[in-house]
Amino acid sequence: MTNFENMVICRCEEVTYGQLLSTAAEHKCTARELKLRTRAGMGFCGGRTCRVSVDKIIESVSPDITPGDIPLKYQPPVRPVTFGTVGEKK
Amino acid sequence: MSDVIIIGAGPAGLAGAIACAENGLRVTVVDEFIKPGGRLLGQLHQEPSGDWWNGIKEAERLHQNAMNLSVDIRCGVSVYNLEKCSQNWNVHTSIGTLTAPFVLIATGAAEYPVPVPGWTLPGVMSIGAAQVMTNVHRVQVGKKGIIIGANILAFAILNELQLAGINVERIVLPEKNPNSQKAGEPEEVLKSLLHASHLAPSPLLRFGSKFMKKDWIRKMGINFYPKNGIKINGTPLQLRKAALEVIGKDQVEGVRIADTDANGKVIPGTEKIYEADFVCIAGGLYPLAELAAVTGCPFHYVPELGGHVPSHSETMETPLDGLFVAGNITGIESGKIAMAQGITAGLSIAKHAGKGKNNINNKLQQAVQNIRTVRQNAAIQFNPDIDRGRSKMKQIWEDQHNNNNQTQEKIG
Ligand SMILES: Cc1cc2nc3c(=O)[nH]c(=O)nc-3n(C[C@H](O)[C@H](O)[C@H](O)COP(=O)(O)OP(=O)(O)OC[C@H]3O[C@@H](n4cnc5c(N)ncnc54)[C@H](O)[C@@H]3O)c2cc1C
Repeated sequence: MTNFENMVICRCEEVTYGQLLSTAAEHKCTARELKLRTRAGMGFCGGRTCRVSVDKIIESVSPDITPGDIPLKYQPPVRPVTFGTVGEKK
Repeated sequence: MSDVIIIGAGPAGLAGAIACAENGLRVTVVDEFIKPGGRLLGQLHQEPSGDWWNGIKEAERLHQNAMNLSVDIRCGVSVYNLEKCSQNWNVHTSIGTLTAPFVLIATGAAEYPVPVPGWTLPGVMSIGAAQVMTNVHRVQVGKKGIIIGANILAFAILNELQLAGINVERIVLPEKNPNSQKAGEPEEVLKSLLHASHLAPSPLLRFGSKFMKKDWIRKMGINFYPKNGIKINGTPLQLRKAALEVIGKDQVEGVRIADTDANGKVIPGTEKIYEADFVCIAGGLYPLAELAAVTGCPFHYVPELGGHVPSHSETMETPLDGLFVAGNITGIESGKIAMAQGITAGLSIAKHAGKGKNNINNKLQQAVQNIRTVRQNAAIQFNPDIDRGRSKMKQIWEDQHNNNNQTQEKIG
């Protein structure tokens, strides 16, 4: 079981399954709060890899949530960019 | 300045570009990959007719057509934000901001993994990565592979790996847990494979229907599923085995696998390590809709379409003025359907731009009808209930147009 809990879910920020579960249990998190507390889904890939997994974990720990309600928010920039690019200065 | 900016040079984006340009619009296409074609570049399979679907050739054909119509195609350019500014859309890219009154988002689908302990070891990859390495970059992914996850995508790509002479030793399921859900339940997996099997393109993929035509097997179902699996072109499909962990020190050395009961519960004492030097995880696909989300476009959750999709009509318009969508962003389907949707979106944009004269409405209706025809004849269908998903979206759109109080959900 510890093997399972040590399994990385968010690879960019190296957040494990166990960390997500214990944070969700301790704080009764919404999807957004769980993301902000653990940084799962907030790394280099913008959550493209772990978004579906993180959603499912939230679904499994908060049974009163229906899958349609819980998507994690998307924020620009949706790709990694330099400050120069965003500021339109190179 | 262009009239239309298309994000994504896959089948939907390129077909849309061609339809726009044929109707006199100036078109720019941007794509972050090094060459145009999107997911077509990895596709190779045999149709029920016996013809081969060669995605690379299709991509070349579309690219050439678009070039002949003077479409400006820019590869290696990422779009990181999209916003409306008075009459125009600002498309923020890695080479600066492009502006146009019309935007078509055709960003396709992304894969989601089913995490398995040890999946961060070098040598573990998504099944789609194995496809790209094999068919696009022509790199041998390994000598001895195991696929975790049994779905249509896994079979299509298994076939491609086999054609390339790459040895896949077995297909097993992920262990059943909150993350894998139904993908870890042998009975559910068998059911979904049987649903899809009549649509399967090659003899390899049709294995299920042949197997299940034997009524007694259908009745006995998973309980009598052979322990060592059923061979697909030499690779055993082992629905009663689950991957518990990928093992290895610095890279993949093998997978710890156990037998399971019909519900996916591990049978204690059956664990065994199977050697492998690469592992492919076949989770599934979901619409890559991040750019539609940042515009504030409303979304709907339609599981048959693969998850959250931007609200759209049959003619591929979104509720936002000048914003259109086509291809896998609207639901997970095969390449030909993406192309048919792209044509529809292109004609729809031409119509909104006042192009295409009187017969544009006719053409647009024909294009919508053509999507349905292509869908009916599709060789690969990722979700057996796709028709239901499409009708749901259509209904939602129509209701919204008749009644503004409909509930909408924003994920942007
Ligand atoms: C791994 C995988 C394997 C598949 N295998 C098959 C198969 O074997 N057979 C089959 O019929 N279908 C397969 N599909 C389904 C496939 O999505 C469709 O066949 C078809 O390619 C969808 O076309 P599209 O134009 O919607 O998207 P795509 O073909 O995916 O093209 C989208 C393009 O948009 C670009 N893009 C995305 N985001 C951005 C951005 N922010 N900035 C710039 N460019 C961006 C991408 O680089 C990509 O080139 C597969 C899909 C995936 C993900």
